[in-house]
Amino acid sequence: MNSFIEVDYSQKWKSTERIPGDIFLLSRDKTEGRIVCTLSDGLGSGVKANVLANLTASMGQKFTTSKMDIIKSAQIIMKTLPICKERKISYSTFTIVDINSNGKAGIIEYDNPGFILVRDNKIVQTDFTVIPLENRFPGRKEKLKHTELELKSEDRLIFFSDGVSQSGMGTAAFPLGWRRPDIENFILQQISQKRNISASELSKKIVGRALLNDIQKAKDDITCAAIYVRKPRKLLLLSGPPIDPDNDIHLVNNFVKFQGHKVICGGTTAQIISKGIDENIITNLKERDVDIPPSSEMEGADLVTEGILTLSKTADMLENKESWSTMKPNAVKKLITLFMNSDEVHFIIGTKINEAHQDPSIPVEIGLRRTIVNRIKKILEEKYLKKTTLEYL
Amino acid sequence: MKKETGTGKIDVTICTGTTCYVMGASDLLTLEETLPEKILNRVNITGTTCLNLCKNKEDKPPFVMVNEKIISKANLESVKKAIQQELSGEKNANAE
Ligand code: FES
Repeated sequence: MNSFIEVDYSQKWKSTERIPGDIFLLSRDKTEGRIVCTLSDGLGSGVKANVLANLTASMGQKFTTSKMDIIKSAQIIMKTLPICKERKISYSTFTIVDINSNGKAGIIEYDNPGFILVRDNKIVQTDFTVIPLENRFPGRKEKLKHTELELKSEDRLIFFSDGVSQSGMGTAAFPLGWRRPDIENFILQQISQKRNISASELSKKIVGRALLNDIQKAKDDITCAAIYVRKPRKLLLLSGPPIDPDNDIHLVNNFVKFQGHKVICGGTTAQIISKGIDENIITNLKERDVDIPPSSEMEGADLVTEGILTLSKTADMLENKESWSTMKPNAVKKLITLFMNSDEVHFIIGTKINEAHQDPSIPVEIGLRRTIVNRIKKILEEKYLKKTTLEYL
Repeated sequence: MKKETGTGKIDVTICTGTTCYVMGASDLLTLEETLPEKILNRVNITGTTCLNLCKNKEDKPPFVMVNEKIISKANLESVKKAIQQELSGEKNANAE
């Protein structure tokens, strides 16, 4: 399957609590392209719920990623988890989703609201098998729901805790909570309004709406996860002139041919491309920042920035997930935004050393392009789960 | 890089490349705000990603070009002075 599978979730905690009682965990195996995620809802809310949900989700993740059969892992979780004798209910409910690189998905659900599959802008009902569980409570039959699916390009899978489906319960507008058909309609509406809405945005919209149903004070933990199978969004980043000027033409060709967003980080590199495609570079002199040179614009490129200083700052900011979101729009923020909106990043790094940077009279240390780019590449892969490739010219 | 010419104005090009920036070009970005209006109307301020002067060991960054003239170790004062000079040069040329 030549698609990228985007997974994200959004969450609001019960308004009286400081930690969530719902837990979402995600792991991606880069070599196999396998994705496992678990949403677990601990009984009640607060610390106890958090610990139980965490325990459940971690077990789900561990067993499933360790190649254990998804049904088997669910059964072990059920055996291990403590139960509430008085209320005759389990301490946590869960959904585990396991997707391989061909889009084959296995889903196990225990007492969470059922997942929603959207295909071709319609809700698709799926068949499932029921796996009965050992009797833990007399007079109450417990079961797991197991679904197998072949995910297709543009499919979306949405699942959530009951904080979503019970939102607004008891209010005049939603006496029985946010009912499933209404949630489904809401999702279809979001997709029809924005055809390629990301998993991240869709999950935020759903949680936002559930919170609104609760009149902005969550009555329970509200968590929604979304999976979106889509064409990978690609980004090309060029930085540095080639060591052999004869290769300038390769750089230009690569730039022109590339399908996706294009960024140039480096003044000389930008000039090579500008000459090659015969377009002007216009610097945004209104962008003022003491340590980040202004970005520029050029027809054909999505962004042009200075090289080393901008890249170093970008690496620092990427390491610190929160701080860049509050930055004013400068070259670094623009570059990070492009990274975040991409699934695959291809770096082409020219290795010619700029001798001016080696001048001892320069007051700041200017690092090596290669080192900085490798640092960014690593952070993008490990922290942001992006696919990256790199070539030197 | 192609440049817009023939605007009848004095071209001021500030280099915002790596070397110039670490040597103080960030201060130069405020040039526009520090020029009196009647001068501002007669200059065309742009930036460039590198003037390719940094590779040359003799000159010292940051660099600014005022028309054809290179100003090295540029600061707001020296750039303003160069603009003034160009303006009075033009006047003289017109008077002849
Ligand atoms: S960085 Fe200014 S001339 Fe090269």
